[in-house]
Amino acid sequence: MKYRVLALACSALVFLPGGIVAEVPSVIAIRGARIVTVSGPVIPRGTVILRDGLIEAVGDAQPPPEAWVIDGEGLTVYPGLLDALSTLGLPDMPRLNGTGRPNAARPRSAPAPARGPEDRPLNTSYLRAAGELSLTDRRLEAARNAGFTGAVTFPTEGVFAGLGAVIDLAGKRPGEMVVQSPAGLYLTMYNGGFGTGYPSSLMGVIAYIRQIYLDAGQYKAARDIYAAHPNGLKRPGYDKWLEGVLEAPRVLLPANDPKEFERMLRLGEELNLQVLLYGLAEGFRAPEILRKHNARVLVNLRWPEKPRGADPEAEETLRVLETRDLAPSTPAALVKAGVKFAFYAGALEKPADLAPAVRRAMIAGLSHDDAVRAMTLNVAELYGVADRLGSVEKGKIANLVVTRGDLFRDKTEVKYVFVDGMKYEPETPAPAAEVTR
Amino acid sequence: MKPVALWIAAAVLSAAADNSFLIRGAAVYPVSSPAIENASLLVLDGRVAAVGPKIAAPKGVRVIDGKGLRVYPGMIDSATEVGMSEIGAVGVTNDVRELGDFKPQLRAGIAVNPSSEHIPVIRANGITAAMAVPDGGVIAGQASLMRLDGWTWEEMAVKLDAALHLNFPAIAARRNTPFSEAKREYNRDLKQLDEYLEQARRYQTARKAAGPGFRTNLQFEAMLPLLEGKVPLMVTAVREREIKAAVEWAEKQKLRLVLSEVRKPGAMLAELKAKNIPVILGPVQDLPLDHDDPYDAAFTLPAELYKAGVRFAFGSFGNQFSRNLPYQAATAVAFGLPYEEGLKSVTLYPAEIWGVSAEMGSIEKAKWADLMVTDGDPLEVKTQVRRLFIKGREVDLESKHTRLYKKYLARP
Repeated sequence: MKYRVLALACSALVFLPGGIVAEVPSVIAIRGARIVTVSGPVIPRGTVILRDGLIEAVGDAQPPPEAWVIDGEGLTVYPGLLDALSTLGLPDMPRLNGTGRPNAARPRSAPAPARGPEDRPLNTSYLRAAGELSLTDRRLEAARNAGFTGAVTFPTEGVFAGLGAVIDLAGKRPGEMVVQSPAGLYLTMYNGGFGTGYPSSLMGVIAYIRQIYLDAGQYKAARDIYAAHPNGLKRPGYDKWLEGVLEAPRVLLPANDPKEFERMLRLGEELNLQVLLYGLAEGFRAPEILRKHNARVLVNLRWPEKPRGADPEAEETLRVLETRDLAPSTPAALVKAGVKFAFYAGALEKPADLAPAVRRAMIAGLSHDDAVRAMTLNVAELYGVADRLGSVEKGKIANLVVTRGDLFRDKTEVKYVFVDGMKYEPETPAPAAEVTR
Repeated sequence: MKPVALWIAAAVLSAAADNSFLIRGAAVYPVSSPAIENASLLVLDGRVAAVGPKIAAPKGVRVIDGKGLRVYPGMIDSATEVGMSEIGAVGVTNDVRELGDFKPQLRAGIAVNPSSEHIPVIRANGITAAMAVPDGGVIAGQASLMRLDGWTWEEMAVKLDAALHLNFPAIAARRNTPFSEAKREYNRDLKQLDEYLEQARRYQTARKAAGPGFRTNLQFEAMLPLLEGKVPLMVTAVREREIKAAVEWAEKQKLRLVLSEVRKPGAMLAELKAKNIPVILGPVQDLPLDHDDPYDAAFTLPAELYKAGVRFAFGSFGNQFSRNLPYQAATAVAFGLPYEEGLKSVTLYPAEIWGVSAEMGSIEKAKWADLMVTDGDPLEVKTQVRRLFIKGREVDLESKHTRLYKKYLARP
């Protein structure tokens, strides 16, 4: 009898709405901290109040009596970091290397040789990151420990890889993580090379992308006409490969060097797409091209490095050496040229590589403010979610990172991370750079 | 009767034959010696009989007026697929590669198709002989020096075993393959090659001993001229590391070496000179090998080799583009190679490298009359080859190109 009661109690707990236990406390106040709002001036000493997962007040507000008060003395509050391009929450997706070149995202199962665009090869545009999220991805915690509270996460296989989502890096159910879906369509220039079926070259891939958009336009027109007058009209078929393409508010296109900037931007203009370029290793060479086209870009924080296992005697070109040396100066060059950019860490081996990578950009001339902005508000703006994310402002989602010391500096500790107002603490407060060791 | 008189008498008897003639009033460029203006060149029975200011035509010998013309030895292309490959993209017309790794018994010359459309085309530009180089596997087979005239390969063959072509193992740098793995593969390939040579040497010893159990092996039989130093090994080695490896290996194996397709010899230049290793240079008008090389890297390489004292000849490494052989030399000359050297590296030097300089490569008494008669400097693009002789027999300069030219010229 006694056991039965216990069992009932347990099952009652199980059937409680997932959040209740964890949602205590629902009001948190961080008092007396330095607040880097990003959207406005830095508040040298102020209070941030979080209620029910949202930011209730910022500045000299009084903590309400029900609030859990955290002493912010000596701490700095930043908006939580956003990874502008990642596979976080999608543990089965091939990791990014950010180049979008062949081998960047080789589909695990080789596609059957396709004859042409009508076979829709390398197209999984119907895949939605929002529906594939997994809370068991161990990288989520590691990313939080490094200061990330959100990410834009994408399927990465094939040419039309799939629809991404803006997510928060915690939640009780995968669906709770989603902030915005779809966030965009991730494209690569992947091709298997000669003899692997259509498309087998860069030219083929670009022709294929054009064809898909032409098909999508035709498909949409037919669909709309039919929707308006279904009676007496032959119905158009359902094409799942085009649905995703039509739904995407923007596309991500790979571009690392000036030639690719021109190529991809022109492609985007021709197809009338909203484009985010990603990669940008050689952005320092031609920021003016990006400026001219009013480009919006995502800069890979994994700076180019010498490939492991390279032939030690192989001559490396001056261009390669130069790129390896100067790639971290891209962000500063973009700021100077007035090009809007965000950083992405999705290609880093581990979140702990983040701070050193950002520091390299700062050594090459990027200001600390711009670095923070490129991982917070700029990301939110580029993905159209700045009304919810990206800064410490009233009404926004309560995603914060609280540090001792400036973000990205060598000895800085990440003290707390708040995701949807929930507090997370790295287990042993360690320097930001070594959080996940 | 004295032998010489007998010879002349015999020659006169056969003077009606089409391989005897006298060219009069032409400028003769023997290549091996200075040019002679307004000279005569007598060819009897296909061989050069005399060169001089004034030679009387023996009775019955055809006289050709050489006024305004120049006579040079025919050119020799030191690496081609001529006659073995007709249309690269059409598999059945290609006979350059054979299956297997070690095929020293294969003679490329036998695969040469005397009726190839490419032969008249390249001949029309003054090329009278070419090395047919087989490919594929490790020891690809015997490279054969072929004259570009004849009804059968037997008639064409100058030297079927002019060299043995070896694809020396290279550390193949591939994407996604770490260097250590490539190195391992390289070491394995090298070991395999060493073992093959070891077997060939054992065969050589067994053959000498001629014991009762000895059985002929045609593969190893074909290795004997190489082991005896009669035939060189033609080895493709492009960069310094490969060249160094090949040279050291050949030295260890005590084999004679001819390097081909050398592009970046680096510090090995001095070594090639010291060891007297000749080189067959690939297309001079090529693009630079590496991104940061000067634009004229391939153009100036012949001059660099010349300055270092390395012997070399040119090869076209193709079929139809063999016709551009003189312009390879011409580009080299424009980029620092002395003119005489340019001319020699398509005539006399290849003959020396392939061990046939007693028979061809220059206009000298008793050598075969492989001649081109031009209206100017053969290294000039505008120059036309007016007549061509192979073993003293005049060769028609018609080719597919001229046939098409006439056909479309006559189009209404």
